[in-house]
Amino acid sequence: MKLAGTAKMLRIYFGEDDKWNDKPLYRAIVEKCRELDIAGATVFRGIEGYGASTLIRRTHHLTFSHDAPLMVSVIDSEEKIQKLLPLLDEMVDEGLIAMSDVEVIKYVHQDGVRS
Amino acid sequence: MLKAGPAKKVTIYVGEDHQYHGQSLYSAILNFLFYRRISGATVTRGLAGFGGDHHLHTTRIEALTGDLPMKIEFIESAEKVDEVLPKLHELAGTGLIEIQDTMVVKPAETSKKKPVQEAHPSLKRESKAKMMRIFIGENDKWGGQPLYKALIESMRANDIAGVTIYQGILGYGANRRIHKDSALHLSHDRPMMLSVVDTEEKLLAYFPVLDGMVQQGLVVMSEVDIIKYTHDFAATERRKEARP
Repeated sequence: MKLAGTAKMLRIYFGEDDKWNDKPLYRAIVEKCRELDIAGATVFRGIEGYGASTLIRRTHHLTFSHDAPLMVSVIDSEEKIQKLLPLLDEMVDEGLIAMSDVEVIKYVHQDGVRS
Repeated sequence: MLKAGPAKKVTIYVGEDHQYHGQSLYSAILNFLFYRRISGATVTRGLAGFGGDHHLHTTRIEALTGDLPMKIEFIESAEKVDEVLPKLHELAGTGLIEIQDTMVVKPAETSKKKPVQEAHPSLKRESKAKMMRIFIGENDKWGGQPLYKALIESMRANDIAGVTIYQGILGYGANRRIHKDSALHLSHDRPMMLSVVDTEEKLLAYFPVLDGMVQQGLVVMSEVDIIKYTHDFAATERRKEARP
């Protein structure tokens, strides 16, 4: 797995409660990325936000309502990202997908650290 | 690496209770010296003393024990001392800094040689800047402490304009291993992202240090426009006063 030079970064914004095929959307997206052999994907949970639906999303520690805003950041070559886009389009019903240019400075892993 | 021959010995006197950005001042100074690769430094706590304000700080009466004198000492070459001195001035605040000529008879030996890192002071702000994102794991370690913490401290010591750590809830990367936060297990290898903003020049100059610290992960860079970069010093002072 090599990644170097100019690449694309995709950021996908949606809610934690969003589902795809009865499974959390964020998990489905990460699994789809792995299926397509995308270099990496990371899910971040926001603490507050609003979006296309203009609904304020907030995490409540006391109540169990957990529709926190989520962001998935995916980085790979433009070619790989283009392959992912149509699938994402299908999966994300409500949300935002943004793309930007990034320069890969370092991409390494150690063999044998696998668990 | 300190060699035998003439050198400078720097002693900084501060109070134990002095604070710098929410941590104790003496440890902030020690961290700064450590990440600027000063050959060695020692902190000693005094039993009693007084300084510029002529308050006697003592352990005599247990109830009044407080703000004992702390002494941070290090020995370095004259050039290296000149390099870190401006920042030490800022850090020491009301404390005293003393420099004396000294002679290193026998330098300390280390088990392995470390490359000497160049320091890059002077922070420039301009409208065009770069954002560097570093993706690592929460369990990654450097020098016995979490890598993300070590990175933040090393960035602060290298005068990088700012950095924020984000903790992910799920992810995978170069080693194809899924990192996730599960409440049931106590395994906490969450994905971490550091977002660093500074000029391209500063980030490229810092990269060799970063490169030596990050053993696995991804580092990407992108263009950003700086819209605002300020600090409300008055508010910080207010917060300090409000604190008991």
